[in-house]
Amino acid sequence: MNRLRFFLAAIIVAIASFGNGFTLPAEEIPRTAAGFKSHVAPFLETYCIHCHDSETSKGQITLHALNGDLSAGREPERWDLILRILERGEMPPEGELQPEAAERKGVAEWIAAGLREYVQQSHQPSLVPATRRLTNFEYQNTVRDLLGFELKLIDQLPQDPVKPYHFNNTAEMMRIGPEQLDRYLQCARRAMASAIVDPAMPVVHQTRMEWKPWGLERGMGGDEVGVWGNRRGTPAGGMGLKSFPKTGEFRVRMQASAILPAGVNELPLRLVMGYGLGENLATLLVEPIADIRLSNNPDEPQVFEFRGRIENFPPRPGLIVKETRQPDSMVITLQNLYDDGTLNDGERNLALPRAVVNWLEFEAPITDVWPPLHHTRILFESPLRESDPPAYIQEVLKRFLARAYRRPATNEEVARFVAVYELVLPELGSLEAAMRETLAMVMISPQFLYHTVAKDDVVLQQYELSAKLSYFLWGSMPDDELLRLAEEGKLAEPSVIEAQVRRLLADQRSYQFVDNFTEQWLSLAKMKTVPINRELFPRFLYYVPLGERAGTEVPYRPTIRDYMHQETVGFMAELIRRNASVLNVVDSDFAYINQPLAAHYGVDGVEGIHLRPVPIKPEHHLGGLLTHGSVLVGNGTGSAPHPIYRAVWLREAILGDEVKPPPADVPALTDTAGESAEKALSIKDLLAAHRQKTSCNECHVRLDPWGIPFEHYNAIGKFQPFVPKEGTRVNAFNKLAHANLAGYAAYLQSINTVEIHADSRVPRGPEIDGIEELKSYLLNLRREEIAENMIRRLLTYSIGRELTYRDRFAVEDLIKQTKQNEFKLQDMIVAICQSETFTGIKPQHSKK
Amino acid sequence: MSKNSWHLNRREMLRGGGVALALPLLNSMSWGRETTDQELPKRMLVSYFAYGAYMPGAINGVPAGNDPHDDWSWWPCSQPGPLTFNKSSAPFEPLKDYITYLRGLDHQGGWTMGGHSSGDVFATGADMTEHEKTNNISIDQVAANLHGHKTRYASLVLGTEGGTGSYGSSKTLSHRGPGQPIPSLHKPQDIFNRLFNPYAGQGVEQVRAGLKREASILDLMVDHSRDLQNRLGREDQQKMEEYLESIRAIEQRVERTSQWTHKPLPNVDTKGLNLEVSHKDPQEYIRCMYDLIYLAFQTDSTRFATLMLESESSSNSEMWNYATYALGYKGATHDIAHKRPADYSGQWDRWRAEQHAYFLQRLRATPEADGNMLDRTIVLWGSAHPHASHSGRNYPLHLAGGNKLGLKHGKLLAFEGERKVPMANLFVSMLNAVDVPVEKFADSTGTMDEIRS
Repeated sequence: MNRLRFFLAAIIVAIASFGNGFTLPAEEIPRTAAGFKSHVAPFLETYCIHCHDSETSKGQITLHALNGDLSAGREPERWDLILRILERGEMPPEGELQPEAAERKGVAEWIAAGLREYVQQSHQPSLVPATRRLTNFEYQNTVRDLLGFELKLIDQLPQDPVKPYHFNNTAEMMRIGPEQLDRYLQCARRAMASAIVDPAMPVVHQTRMEWKPWGLERGMGGDEVGVWGNRRGTPAGGMGLKSFPKTGEFRVRMQASAILPAGVNELPLRLVMGYGLGENLATLLVEPIADIRLSNNPDEPQVFEFRGRIENFPPRPGLIVKETRQPDSMVITLQNLYDDGTLNDGERNLALPRAVVNWLEFEAPITDVWPPLHHTRILFESPLRESDPPAYIQEVLKRFLARAYRRPATNEEVARFVAVYELVLPELGSLEAAMRETLAMVMISPQFLYHTVAKDDVVLQQYELSAKLSYFLWGSMPDDELLRLAEEGKLAEPSVIEAQVRRLLADQRSYQFVDNFTEQWLSLAKMKTVPINRELFPRFLYYVPLGERAGTEVPYRPTIRDYMHQETVGFMAELIRRNASVLNVVDSDFAYINQPLAAHYGVDGVEGIHLRPVPIKPEHHLGGLLTHGSVLVGNGTGSAPHPIYRAVWLREAILGDEVKPPPADVPALTDTAGESAEKALSIKDLLAAHRQKTSCNECHVRLDPWGIPFEHYNAIGKFQPFVPKEGTRVNAFNKLAHANLAGYAAYLQSINTVEIHADSRVPRGPEIDGIEELKSYLLNLRREEIAENMIRRLLTYSIGRELTYRDRFAVEDLIKQTKQNEFKLQDMIVAICQSETFTGIKPQHSKK
Repeated sequence: MSKNSWHLNRREMLRGGGVALALPLLNSMSWGRETTDQELPKRMLVSYFAYGAYMPGAINGVPAGNDPHDDWSWWPCSQPGPLTFNKSSAPFEPLKDYITYLRGLDHQGGWTMGGHSSGDVFATGADMTEHEKTNNISIDQVAANLHGHKTRYASLVLGTEGGTGSYGSSKTLSHRGPGQPIPSLHKPQDIFNRLFNPYAGQGVEQVRAGLKREASILDLMVDHSRDLQNRLGREDQQKMEEYLESIRAIEQRVERTSQWTHKPLPNVDTKGLNLEVSHKDPQEYIRCMYDLIYLAFQTDSTRFATLMLESESSSNSEMWNYATYALGYKGATHDIAHKRPADYSGQWDRWRAEQHAYFLQRLRATPEADGNMLDRTIVLWGSAHPHASHSGRNYPLHLAGGNKLGLKHGKLLAFEGERKVPMANLFVSMLNAVDVPVEKFADSTGTMDEIRS
C-alpha cells in the first residue's frame, strides 16, 4: 500500500475542481453493489482502466480487479486512495478524457459512503502498536521534570531515527535494543548520582578573576570584550577554573557593563563554559551558561548571577604528562554576540559595542540549602527514617514511582523495588547509595520508558490521557495539575481538555513542542548542512580569517542561519499564541525576526538580537513560511535555488502530498544537462533540458512548476531576482570596500545582472509568476488542503502513529469543526485533543 | 543456593522464549570450556569508505573499457580476469594473491535511498525504502550471534565519527536487528580501554561482585516488566518483548563478562600506538583504528568487526575536512565526490587504498598456524555507490584474505548486466566461509561460488 500511495502522490496535484464552486446536484448512486455495477464500474472503465489495467498498471496501480466490495482484504486502503485522487482531481491526467464534475462527485460520494459505513461497522483493533517509547527529546524533558533540574543526557543516547517530513515519535519507529537500554542504564545512574547527594557538607570549589582596563592606548582595554580581535588576558580569553566538582549546581557571578556607540541600545553577551575557545584544537566543546543583554554603561556596572549544573558542561580531559594524568580543565569564556547584520570581520572593532567585565566568579556546588531541594524531594525529611526505616523506604519509593510512572504505583510495584533496594543495600552500604541504584532501575523500567496505553481500565485511561496531553504539548511528563485532574476522573470532559490545552500551550514548555514539531514537519534540519558557496555569499556565515583554521566557520558564534531556525519556530509559536489561522503559513502580515535577519531580508528599524513579530510591507517580499530563510536555504544547493527541492517541500509540508524520491534508474540531473548542479546559477535552465527527456519529463512536468515560482529567492533565502551571468567570474568581494550594508548591496548589484524568470503554469492551474501569485493561488484555491494537511500533521504527531484510511472521517470532522472558525491554530489543537482519535475514550464516557 | 536455581530458571525461560536469533549467547553454556580456545579463529571485517570512488568515463560504476585503462580509476583494470594494477590501486599490488575486486554488485534495498544514504544498508542489505524503515541485522552480527561467545567480545563496532547516526545518515555499519543500531566507537583511547582494560583498575573480585549484583537486579527487572506485558494488547506485547529481549541481552552480557573475568586479560604492547591521535592527522588516526582491530584480532578478543571509515554525512565532524589534512585539498572532502577534480580524486582514492593495504599487510605479516592472520581473516572493503552521481548501484567492492577459509583471489569479477546477482549472495558466502551456515541473508538468491574457485 505504501508503494501505491508513494507513487500516486508523485503525480502532481491539480486544482481541486471538486468541492469548490460546484453547483450541479450530484447524481445519487445506489449505495450497494448494484451502484457499483451501474455507475462506478463504468466510470472506472471509461476513465481509468486503460492505464491502470493489469498490463499497463501505471504507477503500479491496478484497478481492473476492484469488484465493489469495500471490505475485502486490503480493499479499503485502495478505495481510500482512489477517493483521495478523485477528490483532489489528480486523475485522469491532463490530455486524457475527463469526467464531468457531477460524475466525479457522484462516484466519490459513493466511495466515501461505503468507506464510512465500513469503518463504523468494523471495530477492528488497530494493527499498529500504541505503546510509545519516549523519544530522546521526551526522555530528556521527562528526566528534567522528574528530578527538578536540567541534565543533558541526549548526547549519550543513540539518535532517534529521522525521516524527512515524518515525525520520529511514531511507535513503529521507536524501537529499542540492548545498546539503547544500556545507554538508558548509564543515563539513569548518572542522573541519580546527581539527584541524591551524600549527607556530608561537600567541598566548595571557587575561582575568581578581576580585569583592569590596561592597554587602552592600543585600542580596547584589558577588561573589554569586543566582537572580534580580542587579546589574551581579557575576559574574552576566559577564566580557567582552578577546580570544580563532578556534579552539582554552580553559581557564576559577574560585574559587567557595556560601551555602546550612539544609536545602539544594548549588547548581547554570552557566557560559555567548557574548552577554552581560543585554543587551537580540532574539537572545541563548550555549552552556553546564559545570554544577557547589557544596556548599562561602565559608570553604572551591574552584578549578574547565573546558575546551572556542572554535569552539563564538557571538561577538557587532562593531558598525560610524564605518565601522570593532569586534572580535567574548564574555562568560562565571554562572547560579545553583537550583530547588526553587517560583516563584523574585525575591521571596525572599536566602532562596535564592547562589553566591560570587571570581575567574574565561579562557585560549585551551591550549599545555601543542603541537602539541595532535588535531594529532599526524593529523600524527604521524616522521623520515619530513624524510627521505621522499612516504612520510610516504602514511602520514598511510592512517591517516586508515582511521578516516574505518571500514575499511582501499585503495592506490588513498590514491593518489587523494595526488593531491589534490599538486594543492593548490603553491598552499597548507605541508604543514599542503595537508593540511587534502586531509582536508576525505576528509570529503566518499561513503565517509565514507554507511555503505555491502558486498554479498558477507566481509571488508568485518565492518567494516560494526562500523559498524552503533556507529551503532545510539552514533550514531557504531566505536571501536578494534570495528574490531579486524572485522579479526580475529570480529565476527559471536553471543557476540561480545552482549559488544559490552553494552559499547557500558554506555558513556556510548549515552545519545545513547537520546536520539535516544526523542525520535523518542515524538515528544517537539512538547512544546517547545506554547503554555502562562500564566493557568492561572503557575508552569510562567519569564517575564521587567519591561522590554521582559516576559512572554516567560526565555532559557537550564532549566525543568520541559526536565527533562521528560530525565526521559523518562533513564527509558528506566535501563530499558536495568537490563535491565528493556519493559512498564515502561506502568507502573513508579520515576520518573526531580529536585527541580523532584518538586515538580511532588508527590513528597517529592527534592533537587537531577540526575535519578535515585526509588521511587514509588500516590498519586503516576506510573509508566511514560503519565504523563510530556513526553508529556502535548506531547499537550495548553497549556490543556487533548487526548484525541485522547493517543489517537494511545498507539496510535502504544505499541501500534504507524499512525493516519491527519484527512481534510481533515471540519470542524474547533471548527466542529462551536462552541468554541475552545484555550480549552476540557475537550475531552472538545467531542468528545462532535463524535461526534454521523456523518462524525466513524466514526473518533472508535474513537479517543476511548483518550485519555479520560488526562483526569485536565492540560495541564502534573500529576495534576489537577478543572478550572476553564467560563465562569468564573480567579482571578488572586498571587505573594505563593501564593509557596510550599502556597500554590500552595491557589490551584489554589480555581480547580479541577469534577470530570473519565475513563471510557470501549475498542472491544471493558472500561469503563476513569482511567489506572490503562488501564495494567492494557494490561499484562494487550496485553503482546505492546507488546513487538512495541518490537521493531519498535528494529529499524527499527537497520537504517535501514521494515519490510515480509518482516520479519514475523524479528519473530515476536524476540518468541519475548525473551518467555521477560520482554521485557527489553537482551536485546532483543542479540537484534536478532544477527538476520540486522540483520547481513545468513547464519547459516552466523556458526556460529550 | 536459591540464586543458582534461579539462574537455571532464567536460562530455561530464555531458551523457551523463541528469541533464538537475537539471543545467540544462549548456545554458549560452554563458556568455561577450554577446548574452544584450541580452535583456530575465523575472522571477518567489513570496512566502508564514503562518497564512492573515482572512475573517469565509467557509466554507473562500470569502467568504460577504454584502452589503456585510466591510471587513476579506482578499478585496477578495465576487464574481468587476472588483476593488473594502475596508479590508484598500486598499494595492493604486493597483495595480489590475497585480493579480489568485485564489480556490479549492490543492495537493491538501498537503490532509492540516494547516494547520501545508501551507506546505511552497506552491511545489512535491508530494504529501507519499502519495508524496513528501521534497518535490519548486519552481516557481522549474524556471525557474532553464532560465534561471538568464543571471544571476550562478540564483535567490535568502530567508526570514525562514533554513535549510530540516524535514518539516512548512519554512522555505524552494525545493526543488531530492526531499530537496533549499534553505536560505533571512534576514540582510540576509549576503544583501547574497552578492549584491553575493561575493569578500569578495579580488582577482579570487585568486578565480579558488581556484576553479580547487576545480574540479580536485572532478573528482578525482567519479572517486573512481565507484569506490564501481560496487561497489554497483542501488538503492544510485541513491543514489550523487544524491551525484554534487550534487558535479557544486557543480562547475558553481564554474565558473560563475569565468566571472562576468570581468564586473564591479554597483555598488549602499546608501543607505536598513538591513542591520543586526532582527526587532524588522518593517516595516523585511520591507521590507529586499523591497528586496534588488528590487536583485537591478534589477541583473539573478538573475531568480527566493522569499521565505518567515513560517512556521507560527516559535515558536523572534522572528517568533513580530512582530505584537506591528508592531501591539501582546499574544500570539504565531500566536494571531491561531487566535483571530481582530476588531480585530487585519484590521489584521494590511492591514499585510502594505502591505509587499507597497511592493515592487510599487517595481518599478512603475522604468522598464524601454517599461514598468516590474513589467511584466516575475510576483509570486505567498499562503498555504497559508484561515483559522483547519486546512484546506489554497482558498488566499488574489494575482498581480501580468507585464503585458508576457502577463498581464492587475484581476479576482477564482474557481475553487471546478465550476470547480476544480489550483493547479499556475497554475504552468504562470506558467512559460510567463517562457519556460519546460513542459506539466506537479506535479499540473497544463493551463494557466490566465484570467490571460492
